[in-house]
Amino acid sequence: MKFLLRQILRIIPVLFIISLIVFLLVRVTGDPISLMLPETATEQDKAELRQSLGLNEPLYVQYFTYLGDLVTGDFGESFRYNQPALSIVLERLPASLELAFFSMIIAIIISIPLGVLSAIKRNSFIDLFITGGAVLGKAMPNFWLGIMLILLFAVQFNVLPVSGTGSIYHLILPAITLGTAIAAEMTRLIRSSMLEILSQEYIRTARSKGLIEAIVVNKHALRNALIPVVTIMALQTATLIGGTLITETVFSWPGMGQLLIQAVNLRDMAVVQAATFVIAILVIGSNLLADLTYRYLDPRIKYD
Amino acid sequence: MSTSLLNVEDLKVRFKTEDGIVPSVNGVTFHVDKGETVAIVGESGCGKSITSLSILDLIPSPGEIHHGRIDFNGTDLQAIKKKQLRKLRGNEISMIFQEPMTSLNPVFTIGNQISESIRLHQRLGKKKALMKSIEMLDRVGIPDAEAVVRRFPHQLSGGMRQRVMIAMALACNPKLLIADEPTTALDVTIQAQILELIKQLKTDFDTGVILITHDLGVVAEVADRVVVMYAGEVVEEAPVEELFANPKHPYTLGLLSSVPKAEHVVDELGTIEGNVPNPADMPEGCKFHPRCPFATDKCRNEHPELEQFDSNHKKRCFYDVEKGGVA
Repeated sequence: MKFLLRQILRIIPVLFIISLIVFLLVRVTGDPISLMLPETATEQDKAELRQSLGLNEPLYVQYFTYLGDLVTGDFGESFRYNQPALSIVLERLPASLELAFFSMIIAIIISIPLGVLSAIKRNSFIDLFITGGAVLGKAMPNFWLGIMLILLFAVQFNVLPVSGTGSIYHLILPAITLGTAIAAEMTRLIRSSMLEILSQEYIRTARSKGLIEAIVVNKHALRNALIPVVTIMALQTATLIGGTLITETVFSWPGMGQLLIQAVNLRDMAVVQAATFVIAILVIGSNLLADLTYRYLDPRIKYD
Repeated sequence: MSTSLLNVEDLKVRFKTEDGIVPSVNGVTFHVDKGETVAIVGESGCGKSITSLSILDLIPSPGEIHHGRIDFNGTDLQAIKKKQLRKLRGNEISMIFQEPMTSLNPVFTIGNQISESIRLHQRLGKKKALMKSIEMLDRVGIPDAEAVVRRFPHQLSGGMRQRVMIAMALACNPKLLIADEPTTALDVTIQAQILELIKQLKTDFDTGVILITHDLGVVAEVADRVVVMYAGEVVEEAPVEELFANPKHPYTLGLLSSVPKAEHVVDELGTIEGNVPNPADMPEGCKFHPRCPFATDKCRNEHPELEQFDSNHKKRCFYDVEKGGVA
């Protein structure tokens, strides 16, 4: 519990830095005023808008105003949607989380058995097949795999919807698309991690006790082998939450990736800031989860 | 040898590597009687660990037993099925290993790891197995055993972990204990305690012990009989007093002269020149001849057999070697 509290306290300065970076990045990439107004607008129109948005203030004044609003949960208003930026982002959040979660589940379901099998059957035909498949899975571009899946399951066999959201069936194809690439990377990692663990002396000890091979592998080896895998899982989850733009586009999935790109293109600063901030919090959250998983898997890890 | 607990006959182990077949153990024969401690002695790489691992078929891949016979209590261990062999492992034949730091699984509690084999072989429930684990820890001299079962290996010292290994190995009352360098990684004081423990438990449980070591001090301490191995072969075998008093193989002689003794202060300890030969490139004739101070042309060309020249003393050498040279 103390550990959790300390971790949460640690997040505060991180959020502070993120807010500063986001704030500066949005402002150094160009003038939002010129995009917000039609080309026919006069210099006076621009000056008025700038005045009303507070953009003529010195940068540090703008930052502190922004920070003050942040504390109260106010990310400003999206000039495109004329709605509070945070509510637009939060509206997209469930779809993103749903997709990220299911993609990760699929990746885990595929990669753990295949990685373990590949390691215990090292250098066999099965191993060759699995590692070859992993290379392929990693090499396939997401958009291509997505389109192929649509062609096969939605167009040819007509068993799953082409795109959109609304049911668990809508989730299957985009989650497989994203899960495949992650599964490919995790399979290779689990394989090499298992190979290393299987040569450890405590595995020989386990065998010398008379345990059947399934227990030696699934109890004694796997738990140890998963420790390094957790790191990659956390990193991948972060990527899934923030940036699955291509897959979202292919499947018209209303996630945060699409929202963020649109907002950047339109210089919708409030939305960019809100989305980045929410993603940052989720990334921090998934890292925290990884830390907790470590502590569960490996009793040697104790944070002081 | 009807009383023998374990009979290893002409055991040959080889490793199939990319560079070809590498022999590791070349026709090793020895036996262990009930309640007897046999030490297998030799330098690193002489095949003593592989010999001990082959008894329970635990040789790491790509190693394989390709010749010989291992009889345990009248059963040919190579003829039985894997399932039957697993029933022997940890139950009738147990092993303890050199590195107590790495021989225990870091992510499970001590209690979990000891009760695992008790539950498996004695079919006890979780609670009873844990009680038995505590009893075993008590028995190997671990204070506060009830708390220790809940600890993880990293929370114990090296000596404690080796005691845990011993408790685990003896939990099912094995008839044979194979201890592969059990004290090498420990401090000298802890070493003495562990050896004392093995000696005492051997008497308590009437367990036969194979003690693999390169340390002749350890041998003198606990062994009844000694098998000296060199380059995958047995080169000498004798009861411990006989071997120390009357070594017959130049290699044994060399090993003995490299042990420091308190009563003789010498300027320099004896060493054996050279290294154990590479198994992939064994010398012709007697395998020890390149390092032997007494080697003759005969040694360079002919391979000596292990001959029994006394009722309980065997050697693999053409000559009668005494301290001064070839008689």
